[in-house]
Amino acid sequence: MSSGFRSMHPVVALLYYAGLLLFTLLVFHPLFLATEIAGLLALLLLQGQGRQLLRSLPFMLLMAASVALLNPLFSHRGAHILFYWLDQPITLEAVLYGLMMMTMLLTIFIWFISYNYTVTTDKFMYLFAAAAPRTALLTLMAIRFVPLFQRRLRQITLIQRLRGIDAGTGSLKKRMTDGMTLLKVLLTWSLEEALQTGDSMTARGYGSTKRSTYTIYKADLQDKLVMLLLTVSGVVTLLFWVQGYGKLEIYPRMRPADFGWQEAVMYGSFCLFVLIPAGLEGKEKWLWRSSKHSNYPSDTLKKTGTRSMSYRSS
Amino acid sequence: MARFRIPLLIALGLFIAGLALTAAFTDRHYVLLSVVLLLAALLPLFIRLERRPLQSRELVLLAVLSAIAAVSRIPFAALPGVKPVSAVVILSAYVFGAEAGFVIGAVAALVSNIYFGQGPWTPWQMFAWGMTGLTAGWLRRSWLLRRRAGLLVFGFIWGFLFGWIMNIWVLLSLPDALSWRLVAVTFAASFYFDLAHALSNVFFLAVLAGGWTKVLQRFRKKYGLLQQ
Repeated sequence: MSSGFRSMHPVVALLYYAGLLLFTLLVFHPLFLATEIAGLLALLLLQGQGRQLLRSLPFMLLMAASVALLNPLFSHRGAHILFYWLDQPITLEAVLYGLMMMTMLLTIFIWFISYNYTVTTDKFMYLFAAAAPRTALLTLMAIRFVPLFQRRLRQITLIQRLRGIDAGTGSLKKRMTDGMTLLKVLLTWSLEEALQTGDSMTARGYGSTKRSTYTIYKADLQDKLVMLLLTVSGVVTLLFWVQGYGKLEIYPRMRPADFGWQEAVMYGSFCLFVLIPAGLEGKEKWLWRSSKHSNYPSDTLKKTGTRSMSYRSS
Repeated sequence: MARFRIPLLIALGLFIAGLALTAAFTDRHYVLLSVVLLLAALLPLFIRLERRPLQSRELVLLAVLSAIAAVSRIPFAALPGVKPVSAVVILSAYVFGAEAGFVIGAVAALVSNIYFGQGPWTPWQMFAWGMTGLTAGWLRRSWLLRRRAGLLVFGFIWGFLFGWIMNIWVLLSLPDALSWRLVAVTFAASFYFDLAHALSNVFFLAVLAGGWTKVLQRFRKKYGLLQQ
């Protein structure tokens, strides 16, 4: 069951992730990136996704660390030379720039883990089905076919084994041709059956008029409130960025970052933007915990304020 | 609200493109710009898919071929570089044409990454496999793809091209260090994976070509699919 930030309206989630990705790619400042990572990590941990995060950690670190290493080795711009390596100057600026890029890549990787967990494919398709109905239908059908075809392939393998056609035994040549046969059976079976599906779609009038979309999600007051908050804080941050704040200048020479009131306001609204989902998730957790500790005199549960997915039909 | 959806989307796209250009020119920060350009490259072909006359049979056919391409990637997950998707996309484009090839390649990348993990590489893979299908469809009547050996060479070339396209996003995250030496190092690092991809393409095309094109061509003729 989904609760907390996952149960928000898909538009809210998409707005949050789109804004976050935009800020990752635009705002080149270690403090902002670190805040973003902290916000995403808090959200993921509160959602109980720590294990998933841990599993992809080695790959993420490997990719990011290689970027951090490659930059100083190939870029020699900057005024502060740290040392020489193979007659090439290694500059402080290049090292810092590499570290910044590493942080950015890490943020993007963590962003994707969180995005995949919250904005599932059906939500994404729900949002874009109206703009691109054919592409959405095509993609959804393909997604649905993948597990079906895997099941079918298993069935085909079992049945063809009785005829002695088995991709697991025999010489390499036999195994190859047998594997071919299995795949060809899958192809013909699936195509034949899918074309019948297509015919039945035509018979039911697919494509005869403009396609209508079924709206399953309903935006409630909290959705609208959070959407407003996200928009305002995001726009404020973006306005300051356009003015030129929140940029760390590394090249051509490292300049100490000054942190004036403009940066403070920008950072404040950025923090608000980043931490809203984690806050919602935390609130949910806290309400759940405290509701368990209070004892109910009757069997009827009091309304605690935790929320779950709101459907129009229910 | 529905009436304003398209203008709203266009305005949003232009806004992000503007931000990307600003970031690229003032800060030499190219990642966002690359993503915008990539989406701009994918967009016309998807708009074409939305607009062209298409029977529901043909739509389902495209979905089946994309799904088969995506499924074919799963048994080989343990071997990096071995991706039968390319071979399936090339053969489908060979029979059904360039546009179908593009759609099958792009959707197969998107769908298979639901199982393999979405990441910053997803749009690049969509682009790379989409282009594989597009070029195979364009060249299907040419002397190269007419004969079996030419088809295998085509698959071999795309094995490397795919890897080189995927290298671009690694290079883009290092805008300042970009030099021929960095390019050489990146391409040398990916050489074995690209070679594995190219050789596996040749292998899968050699094994699949005869049977699959025959099956697909029969279906095309029998149901009158994507005749254009």
